[in-house]
Amino acid sequence: MSGELVYLTCRVNGEEVSLHVRPEEIFVDVLRDRLAATGTKVACDLGACGACTIIVNGNPTASCGLFAWQAEGADIQTIEGLANNGNLDPVQRAFVENSAFQCGYCTPGMIMLARALIDRDPAPSRADIRNWMGANICRCTGYEMIIEAVEKAAALQQEACNE
Amino acid sequence: MNETAPPLNVVGEGFARTDAVPKTTGTATYTVDVSFPGMLHAKVLRSPHAHARLTAIDATAARAMPGVHAVITRDQLEGLNPTYGYFIKDQPIVAIDKVRYIGDAVAAVAAETERQAVEALEKIVVEYEVLPTVAAIESAMADTAPELFEEEPMGVVPAYGQGASGARRLGINNCYRFSYETGNAGAFEGCDHVFEDRFLFSRDQHFHLEPFVSVARMEGETIDVWSSCQNPFPLRKELARVFNHPENMIRVQVPYIGAGYGAKNNCKTEPIAILLAKLSRRPVRFCMTMEENFLTQSQHAAILNVKTGVMADGTFVARSGHIWLDSGAYSDASPLVAEKAGYRLPGPYKWKHLDIHCDCILTNTTPAGPYRGFGGTQASWASESQIDIIARSLGRDPLDLRLQNLKDLGEAYVPGESGVDSDLRAGLNLVADRIGYSDRQSGDGRGMGLSVGFKDAGGVNKPAQARIRITTNGGIYLHCGTVEIGQGVQTAMSQIVAELLNAPLDRVSYPALNTDYTPFDQGTNASSAIVVMAMAVQQATLKAKQKVMEFAAGQLDCSVEEIELDDWSIRKGNESHPLPIMIMRYYGGTGYEFTGEGFFKPDIDHSAPLETQCVSWEFGWGAAEVEVDRDTGLVNLKQLVVSGDAGQAINPLVCRGQDEGSAIMGLTGALFPCMIYDGPILMNGNGLDYRVPLATDIPDGFVSILQEQGHGPGPFGAKSLGEGCMLPVASAIANAIEDAIGVRIRELPLTPERVLAAIDDAQSP
Ligand code: FES
Ligand code: FES
Repeated sequence: MSGELVYLTCRVNGEEVSLHVRPEEIFVDVLRDRLAATGTKVACDLGACGACTIIVNGNPTASCGLFAWQAEGADIQTIEGLANNGNLDPVQRAFVENSAFQCGYCTPGMIMLARALIDRDPAPSRADIRNWMGANICRCTGYEMIIEAVEKAAALQQEACNE
Repeated sequence: MNETAPPLNVVGEGFARTDAVPKTTGTATYTVDVSFPGMLHAKVLRSPHAHARLTAIDATAARAMPGVHAVITRDQLEGLNPTYGYFIKDQPIVAIDKVRYIGDAVAAVAAETERQAVEALEKIVVEYEVLPTVAAIESAMADTAPELFEEEPMGVVPAYGQGASGARRLGINNCYRFSYETGNAGAFEGCDHVFEDRFLFSRDQHFHLEPFVSVARMEGETIDVWSSCQNPFPLRKELARVFNHPENMIRVQVPYIGAGYGAKNNCKTEPIAILLAKLSRRPVRFCMTMEENFLTQSQHAAILNVKTGVMADGTFVARSGHIWLDSGAYSDASPLVAEKAGYRLPGPYKWKHLDIHCDCILTNTTPAGPYRGFGGTQASWASESQIDIIARSLGRDPLDLRLQNLKDLGEAYVPGESGVDSDLRAGLNLVADRIGYSDRQSGDGRGMGLSVGFKDAGGVNKPAQARIRITTNGGIYLHCGTVEIGQGVQTAMSQIVAELLNAPLDRVSYPALNTDYTPFDQGTNASSAIVVMAMAVQQATLKAKQKVMEFAAGQLDCSVEEIELDDWSIRKGNESHPLPIMIMRYYGGTGYEFTGEGFFKPDIDHSAPLETQCVSWEFGWGAAEVEVDRDTGLVNLKQLVVSGDAGQAINPLVCRGQDEGSAIMGLTGALFPCMIYDGPILMNGNGLDYRVPLATDIPDGFVSILQEQGHGPGPFGAKSLGEGCMLPVASAIANAIEDAIGVRIRELPLTPERVLAAIDDAQSP
């Protein structure tokens, strides 16, 4: 049952957020219900599907399995924070251009997962991409178009860096 | 296609989908995101028993719990027609006299938080008298089996055409039978060989990531419900009946849908959400968990007995079959699935005689309903497995035997039916060539298999309406009732409209469905949009265009033949006349909207078995290569080649996604555990224990090839697509396994245990 409220301070998409949370409150509910950031989706609610993937201090994280208090002091990125002044992130651009989604419900999680990969390894091999993206479930696409989009995202980012 | 047709500008291009930016930026609205001030949350008490009489239920304590605003038990169903279903209205909103499976809804609570709702549910006192259960098809049909329904529930048997019929309650727990017969029953006697095989099909769960969810509220006496739903108009009709409420005072709104694959048809969360909203006079959100999804809808497990007579030279003559579908606890869409499983069992081959029955058997398990492939998956599994059995027995190559017997382009499927609209041999040769079939080294643990998945598409007697509006400044709204569930319909329809109006794609909007103003549609199903709805869309667009042209011709004092629509200007010779100026000059400075209405429906035709001819035939050609480990029984899929025929692809990227997604969905039923029942208890009904394919499960040799054969009945020659490529997967793999190790597996999924057992069987004398 609810104990004392916990005071949580973290950065979400570059902005400092402070609020009281219940000890059992889950971070994805904070995002969706209290910060109105509904881009992050919940499906299995068990840490298995990755629909709720966000980036916490650089690590892709299932936000359905993260207590709100665990985010204390963390730097958090969600799908809402990727585009910069209306300019899509290279991962978003690649997903758009390659039609790497269908219903779109897994897409925010897939994009955040891919973003975390490219942050670590700007030129992942196809096998690396397949392995890494194997963390999240997409029931619609059969994955090939997602894997190609991640390859393209890495290339788009390289291009942007070289310019 | 017409050879003098002008070149296409928009249709056929792999444009970025029109829903791409909302879906990649997290701004797309799904029903899970819909929220209202004061909104309550619903939770459901579910039966712990698979079959029991509800002797008493007391929710007094629950009503007094903090945050609780409304509670539903059977006592709140007074005055309603409290059961729903497709042909047979047998499923109650909450249990009335009995519960019939583990997870059956018994009561529901609306509270200020989900947690409060769950806490209140725990206070509901229920007394059950536990009854014996039947958890599988055969035990449910036994003479001594307990009946799920002692009384006949209200329902209908629809009218059928030539050779087809339906019947109810022909045996214990048999809720529906579909039968189809053509030709002379004596045909088997003239056959040189008759093959009889029994195949088993396991049940997959849709595993749509957005759960079953709706938000309901009362706006005065209008029921306003947001739902993640594939067939909002039939839902509105069913809700009107259940609640005795005028249809014009029920508004169903459908934003983006986080997929459904068939599951999100008809009532799911809506009746409970609406009833709680009526009782509490507050908006109510009922969002299931993934565990609850597993307790709400699944695919049909099946037993399929198939008997096929052939001549010594391989000519197919006759096929009879009996299919039993595991319907779970309620009839749901089972009668419709039975129609399709039965009707599709012959496959696209030249038969002289057919005699098929498909029974729906109720069991104390999750209700089975529509699932992508819709009975075709079960039928293709049995049919295409048996064709390989026959080929091997006759010493024929399975490719060759198929090529000999496949229907010709344009040949009627059965008497009274339309002709098949793909060149089946071309498709099969294509996947066989791509996988390297003719050069394969069979045996020694490695082998290849082929399959032709098939279904009739476009629905049965399906009407569709569409409306186009064009604003003063050329903004185009396409209103049609096909919901964007992931299939890319918004993009494809918008491309058709843009092409016909000579406009860039970004001038077309596709508003989310609202039954108050979206024109009628029967539902987003049966791969029908591109051949049924698209015809209505085309007509609406051309009518709107005609009005624009007539208006412009009048303004320019010339004939329509002298002018052309060029983006949102009128070209007359060398002159260009912007339409906005012309419109405001005539209609006033506030402008005007041009509109066009479209309608399509296949004709009623009693000579067609299902009373309308099939609009488009959908095929999925598949080829698989496997490596089988004889010691572990593990099947290693090396290559999977699938191909569908789009007729003319409206957007090739969207088509590719559909083919690949459906093939990998088909892989679930082939190689993954599916729903595991221990008696009536579902053992793996959650996101962690249930395995669906991951990126790491897909072989590097997975390829889809999009064909555009050009024979489709839809706009620009488009054909149905999106389900076909799941149909051949399981049988192609089973056929490859036999090619690799010489054993035949007749039961899905193709688990290592079954492979080992088959090897053992083959070795024992
Ligand atoms: S919803 Fe968090 S992992 Fe599935
Ligand atoms: S796009 Fe639907 S689950 Fe991935």
